[in-house]
Amino acid sequence: MSTDAQHQASGRRRRSPLPYTWQRGYLLASPALLVMLAILVYPLGYSFIMSFFRWDLSGSAPFIGTGNYTDELFGRQFNQALRNQTIFSVVSITIEVVAGMAIAVLVNGKLRGMRLARTLLLVPPMIAPAVVGLNFRWLFNTQYGLVDALLRMFNMPDIPWLTHPAWALVSVIAADVWQNTPLMVLLFLAGLQSLPQEPLEAATVDGATPWQCFWHIVLPLMRPVIMIALMLRIIDTFRTFDVVWLMTQGGPGGATNLLTVYSYLLAFQAVDFGHAAAVSYIALGMSLLVLGLLYGVPWLLAKRRAI
Amino acid sequence: MSGTLSRRKFLAASAAVTAGSLAAPWVARADAREITALLITGGPLYPKYWEKIVQDFTAKTGIKVRYDLLEFTPLTAKVVTLSAARSSQYDVYSTHTAQIDSYFNHFAPLNSYFSDSELADFYPVAVKYLRDPKTGNLAAIPRNMDARVQYYRSDIYQEKGLKPAETWEELVDVGLKLTGNGHYGLVVPGQGDPAQRTFSDLLWQAGGDWVDQANKPAFNSEAGIKALTFYRDLIQKHKIVPPDAVGYQWNENSTEFSSGTVYATFDWPGAFATLSNPETSRVVGKWSTAPYVRDKAPISCAISHAMALNGQSGRKDAAVEFIKYTVGADAQRLQFDQFTNFPSSQTVAKEVIAAAKGPQAIWLQQLETTIANGKEWPKLAGFSKVCTLMFSAIEQALSDQVSPADSLNQAATEAEEIMRRAGAYD
Repeated sequence: MSTDAQHQASGRRRRSPLPYTWQRGYLLASPALLVMLAILVYPLGYSFIMSFFRWDLSGSAPFIGTGNYTDELFGRQFNQALRNQTIFSVVSITIEVVAGMAIAVLVNGKLRGMRLARTLLLVPPMIAPAVVGLNFRWLFNTQYGLVDALLRMFNMPDIPWLTHPAWALVSVIAADVWQNTPLMVLLFLAGLQSLPQEPLEAATVDGATPWQCFWHIVLPLMRPVIMIALMLRIIDTFRTFDVVWLMTQGGPGGATNLLTVYSYLLAFQAVDFGHAAAVSYIALGMSLLVLGLLYGVPWLLAKRRAI
Repeated sequence: MSGTLSRRKFLAASAAVTAGSLAAPWVARADAREITALLITGGPLYPKYWEKIVQDFTAKTGIKVRYDLLEFTPLTAKVVTLSAARSSQYDVYSTHTAQIDSYFNHFAPLNSYFSDSELADFYPVAVKYLRDPKTGNLAAIPRNMDARVQYYRSDIYQEKGLKPAETWEELVDVGLKLTGNGHYGLVVPGQGDPAQRTFSDLLWQAGGDWVDQANKPAFNSEAGIKALTFYRDLIQKHKIVPPDAVGYQWNENSTEFSSGTVYATFDWPGAFATLSNPETSRVVGKWSTAPYVRDKAPISCAISHAMALNGQSGRKDAAVEFIKYTVGADAQRLQFDQFTNFPSSQTVAKEVIAAAKGPQAIWLQQLETTIANGKEWPKLAGFSKVCTLMFSAIEQALSDQVSPADSLNQAATEAEEIMRRAGAYD
């Protein structure tokens, strides 16, 4: 550094009212921290507090302790939403992970057209969930939809996709699987391409079949990637709203009411923010519990084995 | 002057910008000659309508109006959010009878701003259901009436020698004769608020009501079960309604008729303009109107789009001037000319009925009869939450998940508990 530059640098230091300490670091970061507090922590904390009050625009908002939580946990509509949420999350994540892994293994091979296939896989996750919801609403329309039109071509009976409770849940799961399986494929593909080749080559030389290689080598090595994929999807399915809202609004008769949709209805239709906040926090607690089990159980097992 | 921006100048400028942006709302609010409004829209004509209303109002009073437009559902969600936050962002809101009970504590009472004679000019049913039954406070003032009549395909009916149905039995008979070859005799909505509206009409027509004298749920009476059974059977047993109707709201309901797939429906006043416009209808000139069907009584809902004053507003007098203008005779005439919205003022309604000719005159008389016989569900504490419960209960019966009786009985038990907790019986 030249002498002038050193002078300039030291000059700048002298003008500064604060020494270079960790406190100064926090001070400089404080505007960003304040913004984070204002837009993230404050609403979260506020809605958590709200969940302990009867908050329904009636003027007074009395403290009712865990009343909103117990009302919901023992309520029929919440339990229906919880059942739907469980089926939706378990079925869609299972299909997405299994199909995602199968497709990733397939497109990882050196077959013709795989480059195009990989590019096309980017399309569904890029589409806004609202658009996916609207498209699937039309696809599954009994009168005008493509799916029932195809069934009719093969002399098969119409299926009431969106108006029968069981089929409606199948329909929203189908939309979710269509949009999110490619994301799983991309994650698994990245994992597969970073796997060490030596164990696979050694197993092949020892006469292992492709299935044995996949089951005993690829799958255990892919475990960290699968765990991340599961974590992302669990968080996502507990947040799913747009697709379901646009396809069924939680109907018919609550058959596709997920926890998010139920919470929205409570807040903006029933104008009952206390119960809506309680439902949101129960959903958050459940997703944290599932994630805790997902990571905690293998960790405990590994620790027990080590002992 | 130095060409580079020093840190001190940068920080000073940033502070000035931040302070300015923080102070701006208060500076703007200080001007009592400018108010803000959150107004309803829907369709391409609404923005032009509000633009004209606001321009005329400003020219007449000198009060400027800054406004935002939203469609009904997002508007409702935004008003709920702003009310919960006790926001004074808007002085005036567009609102509706349907959820007015949620806002009784957030909209400023309008009683003192309207004389008795002014209020007497509005349809009584509209004013009655915009009042808080506990306090008598008028939470909003009706801007236009919302009531339904029957729209049917006069060309097809004539071809088949049919007359529009007057009773429930005739509705099924006519529907069966018209259903086939990809067409349906009738369409009714089956989801959410529109499903509750339809059930509500049938409930009153069957001689029932939502609550009894003690305000306890009574919709699971014999009349209620009959109404919901009839509603379900239109879709599931007689199959004269498209099967997807269980997922239909108002838009799908109207589109099924305007596209020519379905031959009859019950629709709002705006349908008259939509169905007459070749850009929005394939059945222009092929339809006519008839009264809503009846069973024991010819009752259906008569509600209203309305204007409300934010209780948090700091410019209430100017805001009320604007509200008065939007429900005034000129604005109501313009609404009718633009959207065929039925006036909430009886004087203006009589004027437009007297000036109308041919099918429009007949339709307006039918609408006026509906309004005269009209009702609305009760505005009791907790009833908004009961509505959410009813959406699910009605949909469950319509989609054959449970019987109408079981569905209504379960809903009645839960509804009483909801209203009790909300203080409806205090």
